[in-house]
Amino acid sequence: MACARPLISVYSKKGEPSDKNVTLPAVFKTPIRPDIVNFLHANLCKNNRQLDAISELAGHQTSAESWGTGRAVAQIPRVRGGGTHRSGQDGFGNICLGGRMFAPTKIWRRWHRRVNTTQKRYAIRSALAASALPVLVMSRGHHIEEVPELPLVAEDKVEGYEKTKEAVLLLKKLKAWNDVKKVYASQPMRAGKGKMRNRCCTQSRRHCIICNGDSGTIKAFRNIPGITLLNISKLNVLKLAPGGHVGRSCIWTESAFRRLDELYGTWPPRKKNHLRVLRKNPLKNLRIVLKLNPYAKTISWNTILLQTKNHKIQMHRAAAALEDKSDEKEVPGKKPVVGKKGKKAEKKKKQKRLAGKKVAVTKKPTAEKKPTEKKPHHRRKEGCCINLNLFIS
Amino acid sequence: MERQKIVMRTCCSFLIKRNKQTYSTKPNNLKAPNSLRYNGLIHRKTVGVEMAADGKGIVVVRKRRSGQGKPATSYVRTTINENAQATLSKLLSKISKELLKPNSRKTHTQTHPHTDTQTHTHTLSD
Repeated sequence: MACARPLISVYSKKGEPSDKNVTLPAVFKTPIRPDIVNFLHANLCKNNRQLDAISELAGHQTSAESWGTGRAVAQIPRVRGGGTHRSGQDGFGNICLGGRMFAPTKIWRRWHRRVNTTQKRYAIRSALAASALPVLVMSRGHHIEEVPELPLVAEDKVEGYEKTKEAVLLLKKLKAWNDVKKVYASQPMRAGKGKMRNRCCTQSRRHCIICNGDSGTIKAFRNIPGITLLNISKLNVLKLAPGGHVGRSCIWTESAFRRLDELYGTWPPRKKNHLRVLRKNPLKNLRIVLKLNPYAKTISWNTILLQTKNHKIQMHRAAAALEDKSDEKEVPGKKPVVGKKGKKAEKKKKQKRLAGKKVAVTKKPTAEKKPTEKKPHHRRKEGCCINLNLFIS
Repeated sequence: MERQKIVMRTCCSFLIKRNKQTYSTKPNNLKAPNSLRYNGLIHRKTVGVEMAADGKGIVVVRKRRSGQGKPATSYVRTTINENAQATLSKLLSKISKELLKPNSRKTHTQTHPHTDTQTHTHTLSD
């Protein structure tokens, strides 16, 4: 099912596209189910039948009785009495002249059929969808080769037409008249005995005009052969798919076309099926932490910065303490306040200091400068480097 | 398109079933069998050949790829009125532009009856 809904232009009574556009209502994207439409048509057609049956008495208005055996005649019931041709003739049977038929038709035949409401609605939608496809409309037999667009939407002024002349002119401008001409060209008289039964004239069904209200349209269009008028709130499958064949050509008025979406609805918002995602441990997995709490990144970065800062301060203090201590060494006995850790640091420092005191001294200011310079860049790698540098010094 | 195929397969105003044969009188169907391949209406791109109105030459009818919902502007008609060989080559070049299957070309050039007109010196085989 294509979900693209193109813009349909509204055509003026001159057959030119006006500035107005309507998005194609979602109904026209319904799947086309000719089987459902056919089923519905077959059943709904039966609903406007009138009762028809033969007389109950037909063939029984005799008192015929069988003559029995021994009379060299068939044992069928025979009419009693004498004086007419009818006496002695057979009666009552479906085989007999003047008898009743086999299975006389009864008025309590099930004339009407009910169809599920959902099916009825589906069929209407399907029929509408089919009426929007030029291929299907043409294959149903409509001459719509010159029609500007399908579905064909005319401006609302059409609903105000009162004269058939105006209606005809509209159809001519919309190039829909070719189809109507076909009605004139087709043989009007019915084939068969229907002629004798008050069903003399037949006509093909051409366009279907669908309008929103009626301020005279019915009267304007009704005398044009082949045309049917429908109100948008009372769409009828029997009219939209005559004969059970989908694809009748429909001409819409703009307001009727716009009402389609509200009457037949659009699709519900698409619910995506979310598959079960493997749960990863945020305590171990950095990416998951960041997904759950994006602020965690800034927190960790801030802690790193803080740590480097503190470390730097510690280093300063340690270095300063060592310097003091080296000054104090000339005065024995005094122990530095730093403590065990300080001693270790001292040792380390001593070893490294011996390696290059001057280097350390020179490095300090540069080491100092480095973090201050590089702080604004906030790069973790360089932070690590900073750490290393400090350690080395 | 699938739906349309299903609908049109069994009942369609262009369908002819007589003499135990089934044909289709669709506008762009040249060989006339009723099948999906030779269905002149369904496909997005079709090429058809008709006789020109005045009887001189042929008209090549091409379906536009875009605007499928607008029957009035769907088809482009070009008239070719030349001798047999030139018409044929022009027709072939037009069709090849449409990137059709080679069989379709064959159909168009061989089986179209309207290519026999008085102006042609050679008649194309049927």
